[in-house]
Amino acid sequence: MSACDVVVIGGGLSGLVAAAAAAERDKKVVLIAKGVGAIAVGSGSIDVLGYEAGGKPVARPLAEMGKLPSNHPYARAGKQATAKAFEFFLDLCEKGGFPYSGSADVARWVPTAIGTLKPTCFLPRSMDPAPLEAAKAAVVVGFRGLKDYYPELIIRGLMQVPAYPKRFRTVIVDPEMAGRDVNALDIARWLDTESGRHACIEQMLTGIAPGNVVLVPPVLGTVPNYGVLEEFEKATTCKFIEITGMPPAITGLRLYDLLVSEIKKRGVRIVEHATVTRAVVDNGRCTAVVTHGVDRERTHPARSFILATGGFYSGGLEAGFGSAREPVFGLPVKVPESQSDWSNAFLLSGGAQPFARFGLDVDARLRPTDGSGKAVFENVYAVGRTLSGFDDAFEKSGNGVAVVTGYRAGTLVA
Amino acid sequence: MDSVTVVVIGGGATGTGILRDLSMRGVKTLLIERGDLASDASGRFHGLLHSGARYAVTDPRSAKECIEENAILRRIGKHCVEKTEGFFVRLEGDGEDYEGQWVAGCAAARIHAKRVDLKEARRLEPHLSRRAVSVFRVPDSAIDGFRLCWQNVASARRYGGEVRTYTEATGIERAGDRVVGVTVCDTLTGAVDSIGCDHVVNAAGSWVGRVASWAGIEVDVKPDRGVLIAFNHRFTNRVINRLRPPANGDIFVPHGPITVLGTTSSPVASADDNVPHVEEVLELLHNGTELFEDLPKYRILRAYAGARPLYSPGEGRAASRDFTILDHSTDGLRGLTSAAGGKLTSYRLMAEKTADVVCRELGVKAACRTAAEPMVEDPPRRLVTRARPFFPPYGLDLAASRLGAAFGPVVQGLQMHPEERRLICECEMVTLAEVESAAREPTTFNLGDIRRRTRMGMGTCQGAFCSLRAVGALVSHDLVADKDGKALIRDFLETRWKGIRPVLWGDQIREAEFQREVYAATLNLDGTAQR
Repeated sequence: MSACDVVVIGGGLSGLVAAAAAAERDKKVVLIAKGVGAIAVGSGSIDVLGYEAGGKPVARPLAEMGKLPSNHPYARAGKQATAKAFEFFLDLCEKGGFPYSGSADVARWVPTAIGTLKPTCFLPRSMDPAPLEAAKAAVVVGFRGLKDYYPELIIRGLMQVPAYPKRFRTVIVDPEMAGRDVNALDIARWLDTESGRHACIEQMLTGIAPGNVVLVPPVLGTVPNYGVLEEFEKATTCKFIEITGMPPAITGLRLYDLLVSEIKKRGVRIVEHATVTRAVVDNGRCTAVVTHGVDRERTHPARSFILATGGFYSGGLEAGFGSAREPVFGLPVKVPESQSDWSNAFLLSGGAQPFARFGLDVDARLRPTDGSGKAVFENVYAVGRTLSGFDDAFEKSGNGVAVVTGYRAGTLVA
Repeated sequence: MDSVTVVVIGGGATGTGILRDLSMRGVKTLLIERGDLASDASGRFHGLLHSGARYAVTDPRSAKECIEENAILRRIGKHCVEKTEGFFVRLEGDGEDYEGQWVAGCAAARIHAKRVDLKEARRLEPHLSRRAVSVFRVPDSAIDGFRLCWQNVASARRYGGEVRTYTEATGIERAGDRVVGVTVCDTLTGAVDSIGCDHVVNAAGSWVGRVASWAGIEVDVKPDRGVLIAFNHRFTNRVINRLRPPANGDIFVPHGPITVLGTTSSPVASADDNVPHVEEVLELLHNGTELFEDLPKYRILRAYAGARPLYSPGEGRAASRDFTILDHSTDGLRGLTSAAGGKLTSYRLMAEKTADVVCRELGVKAACRTAAEPMVEDPPRRLVTRARPFFPPYGLDLAASRLGAAFGPVVQGLQMHPEERRLICECEMVTLAEVESAAREPTTFNLGDIRRRTRMGMGTCQGAFCSLRAVGALVSHDLVADKDGKALIRDFLETRWKGIRPVLWGDQIREAEFQREVYAATLNLDGTAQR
């Protein structure tokens, strides 16, 4: 096997962006992925920084970053890289035919499946909440049997939002999937078909009128383009807004497909269904990683390695009683001495959870450090949720950190 | 002001058993409970219907009571009992002398304990420790404490018995040397009321002393805390007991898709604290690993704690698990009876003895019939056949047992609205129709109430998927009145979190991170609003 420049470990958002950024610089990149990462758990919107440490909403995320502590991944990546990373991301989406819009310095509030609003920054056009903010009334479309999406719950919540419409009505579309449980992916695949789109439009037209603002679950096709959205808009002359919801998040999967096809275009080789089981190290450098795939062990030598394996959910961090570790390189993960200090008394406590901030400490070049602050390996970089120092769920910063640190590492590798 | 003949304070197994007993004897009875039924010890134990073998050496009288009540409950309560049988397992290093005493104790109590060939035992329970040297089979069973209480109530209602949950007794009203009523407070609205009655039964479990003190009477019930761990696998099909003097962490009980490991024993000042500590969990895991060597690799769902109400001299497990009925006319107050001590397995007997005392004082001649009549009738076979298309194969019997008399109406509803067959909770196979049925009960106020009726949210995902679905479906069907849907979801997740937090490592921390990604990062259930 010929050696490459960079091996990226992990196929989630941070790994994909890292691979794209390295490939953009003409590096020969291999991306090793176990699965699709947490990208299908989130909604595909790029949340940058929704809340400051005290729990106050952040109106201007980019400006707020200046106040973050020095161990926060945004602070590690630096202001310049942060701005460039978002530019790079927007450019990728544009080139892939699925443009995102937004700014890292303007918080946008998108409706969710429980009727709350959540702060984010960059969105696909299908999730743009602007029409809803301007409307006097709106329609919420539901799908019979779709079990993670309830129009009445959404309406009940949105009615409480001061600047939002106070008049909502619902239209229920029957996807004719009776007899089995239905999730958003089933509906999205139905709308991938021409007959599905026609049936859906026909049913919607019984309850919507030209000019309406229509909220839908994230089901407007599985493909990263605006084909279904545009067809719906054209047939109904309505504005459609996809709401964020429970996994599987189709909007997240679309972003995944887009990024995978973009990195492939840039020559990145993807090794799928492979788990990196160990690293080969020599004198402060990593020389290769070893994967265990469906068939046999393989060795992947490279000059640099980007660790984008995620947090506890994705397996990039592992915890036992009283300790936590990073399983590929065996890098240290600091935890409080007492187990009761790992978490707050409430799950959704209105503050950061200690365990959510567990991860790898890194230097200014995103290289994991030992207790003394010195890089453990000169050619290993860590990105995304694997990093310590931020609670993405509380801050609403997960995808933003993934994009920024992924980009930064991609530009640092030799 | 309402008026009944008897008010029972306490909605655990004992209280609901007394309600059923008195109602069946024709006494107009109302049960009041400050939370939901079975929300304390009767829902916070290992769910073991003892054969009595555990007490064969230390407490022969309890052993005998247990085996008799075990036989009765397996008959009258078959929709809340799973007849698993149990093993008593002696490991290398456990005293052989104790085994001899135990065998003799079982024989004396008439508990059928039969030696099982080791090879056969390993075939039946392959995960059991290789260090097992003796295995005996006994008629232990698994019992669902939540369902037991509700089925007692369902049976009592057929005889006119009534229940008010989320109604806390705050005082006993007396006229001279007689009880004339109780004052109550609605714990949800804060509304205060009083209920007139001729007799009050104090079945408040660990809080019996508190209730008695309102009448100026001292009853010394000591709460004794026990911690348990629920695992995400059914790694044993039988109740497994360690064959040695009763100690911490030596009982495993399978329940549906999970297994419960218990318990610890420590005296506590108050039974209100039911959050487990990490140290207690570690002790259980340490001891449990001796019976199941792979235990540290199994995924934990949560830990929980409850309190045994001990009434007797002595402390902790060494004290008798016996019960005592206190007729307080000997204390100079007529019309108050306390049911003190006891344990779940013999709750029915305790209820019978209490009802005997109450009836004697009321001059009621009817005899107890609770041992003869099943709590819930079997569903007619025709109904089961009609229901079959709407449930997953394994879920059908579960639903029929859970629903009892409500099974018929639920099936009827499903025939009209087949889409309501969809599973709200995949872990425990709970359909939307069943969730709605529980939500329509006048005693249901939150998702926790639905959980205890249906087991929704008790499985692998610990509410990650089903809480949004349940609230969404209930809002859609106008079944949550003016309650805030977001608050319902949050309260449910936070209740589950209490049990996850003491075991936050391994796959539990994975699940917690996932829950936060969904409910905090994606749905912003935690953040403040924009303006």
